[in-house]
Parts: sequence; structure tokens; C-alpha cells
Amino acid sequence: MNPLHSTPAGDDPAVRVARISETQWQAVADDLPVGSGDAARRPDGRLFVSIDAWHGSAFDRIADAMLADLPEPLHTLVDEADRDTASAWERLGFTPARREWDHLVPTDPQITGLGPVRCPEGVTILPAGSAEEGPLRALDRIVRDEVEATLGWRRMPAEILPRPVGDTVVDPSKYAVAQEAGRYVGLVRVAPLRLPRIGLIAVRADRQRRGIGRALLAHALGALHEAGTAWARTEVDASNTAAAALLAGIGARRRGSTLELVRR
Amino acid sequence: MTKAAGGIEVEGTVVECLRNATFTVQLENGHKVLAHISGKIRKNYIKILPEDRVLVELSPYDLTRGRIRYRYRS
Repeated sequence: MNPLHSTPAGDDPAVRVARISETQWQAVADDLPVGSGDAARRPDGRLFVSIDAWHGSAFDRIADAMLADLPEPLHTLVDEADRDTASAWERLGFTPARREWDHLVPTDPQITGLGPVRCPEGVTILPAGSAEEGPLRALDRIVRDEVEATLGWRRMPAEILPRPVGDTVVDPSKYAVAQEAGRYVGLVRVAPLRLPRIGLIAVRADRQRRGIGRALLAHALGALHEAGTAWARTEVDASNTAAAALLAGIGARRRGSTLELVRR
Repeated sequence: MTKAAGGIEVEGTVVECLRNATFTVQLENGHKVLAHISGKIRKNYIKILPEDRVLVELSPYDLTRGRIRYRYRS
């Protein structure tokens, strides 16, 4: 260990906390590791922290060191069912900033009712992996700018994968695209995990309210169903009532929630 | 079983998702432990499901409890 910074243990002399790298802290008691802290910056610039400790005093000591070392605002995520952890952060001055519902989404058209959904006239959907990369990146940039100008991207479910500056499409093969008159107008991104994740569905502002988003969702879920996958998952910001209503309408089930806490 | 910087680490398989953000994990030696997700995993939006292979760090105070530090790709 090469500590860059060391913090006295406050009211528990057995616990010592050391900053062991720019982004990591470690708590030790009687030569035994009893906890660690980690900080990571998201692609959008926000700084997220986490602490794993085997007892409350180690948690508090690590938190003291991290809060002293790091600039605010600081963000963290907790499972809303984990009241102990949420309370520990709230004692440190973190307050709820947003809530995200985790949904299980059925793929069977007989359950979702999306089987008969067809694309609006003149719109076709290019399956995942067949869109041209340049226009796809341009569309992604446009819809993000549109969201930023309205709801604000930070109200959208978080994206955490590192990517080059200015680039928001990490893996083009995950995107299916809606095309109209040779122009890309909407997209859906599905990560092909054991429980696939619908990460993003968006339609250009000037092409909304025509059923393109619903058609993209029908396509994505239909493709998963044909591949033998019964369920997908997705997260929705609790304030996004339109998305929540859409998911409820296709038989999606809430299975938990994540709370984003912030200290400013 | 390995002794890592964070404590004793053991591989196992998630057998059940419980309430209160905890999981039952069956270790390679057959023992079952109650484990929660590490803050680092939660921060990275990694979801844990039954049948996932995971790396569990056991509590130095109670070897029936642990923390899921890593989910292996299936």
C-alpha cells in the first residue's frame, strides 16, 4: 500500500482509513481490511461514490475521508429496499435526487399486445446490426440534444460505460433504427445479456406522436421473443409518467427501485 | 478460496434473490451465505440474477455473510 492520504480514526481508534489511489480508500482495523470506498466519474461528468464496509463505524470513517477529499456535488446509488445503506448516506447529508424503477418486460406479443403493431406508413425498421454507423451516431446526437433541451439528460436513466469524448454510441450493433425517406428518425438499443436490457428508445422530436417509438419497442421485444427470450429489463425515471404508462400497458412488472442520492 | 486485499473471496452461484437487496449464494464448497451487492457493482448498474456466477467476499466477522464483488459473464 502506498497511502496518498491518511485519516485518523475519529471516535474508533481501531479503524484507520487510507487513500490508496486517486479513486480508492481502504479502512483497516487490527491489520484486517474492514471496508473500502470508491469514486468514479460518469461520462456526463458527475462523480459517483460507493462505500463497502463490514460495520457502521468503518462506513462513517471512510465517508469522512472521502468527503474531505472529494469536491461536491457527490452522487451515490442505493437499492431503495436497503434502508440501512440509504440511512447511512442520508446521515452524511445526502438527499434523494431521483428514483428509478426497474422493470421486467415481457417479450411475448400475446402478453404485450404489440403483435399487431405496424410501422407508420413510409417508416421501416432496420434490425440491430444493420444500420449505417455515421447516420446512427448523428441521430443519437440529435435525440440527446433534444432531450437535453427539454427534460434534461440527467433525468434519464444513467449511462455508465466510458466512451470517447463527444461519442455516445459505444456499440452500433446493439441499435435497431427507424428509417423514413432515407433518414434515420428513431432508435432502440438492446444489450444482449442473459436478461437483455433495453437501454434507450428515442424518436426525433419532429417525428414523435406517430407510433414510431411503439413500433421500435414492438420490433425489439419481438426479436427477443423469436430468439427464445421471455423477459427483458429496463429502467425508467419515476418522473417519466409517459414511459411508465407505456410499460404498464404492455404488461411490464416493477421489480424494485434505485435511489440516486446527492450531497451538494 | 483466496485471501485478497478486501478479505476472503470465494466463488459461488446465486440461488435466490431475497428482499432487502440480498441474495442467497451457494459457494463452491456447498455452503450457502447471505450476500448483498457491493456499492461498486450497484454504481455500475450490474444486475444480479439467480444462476449468476459471482465472486463473494466473506465477512471477517461472520462467515455466513458476504458481499458480491464481481459477476462473471455467463
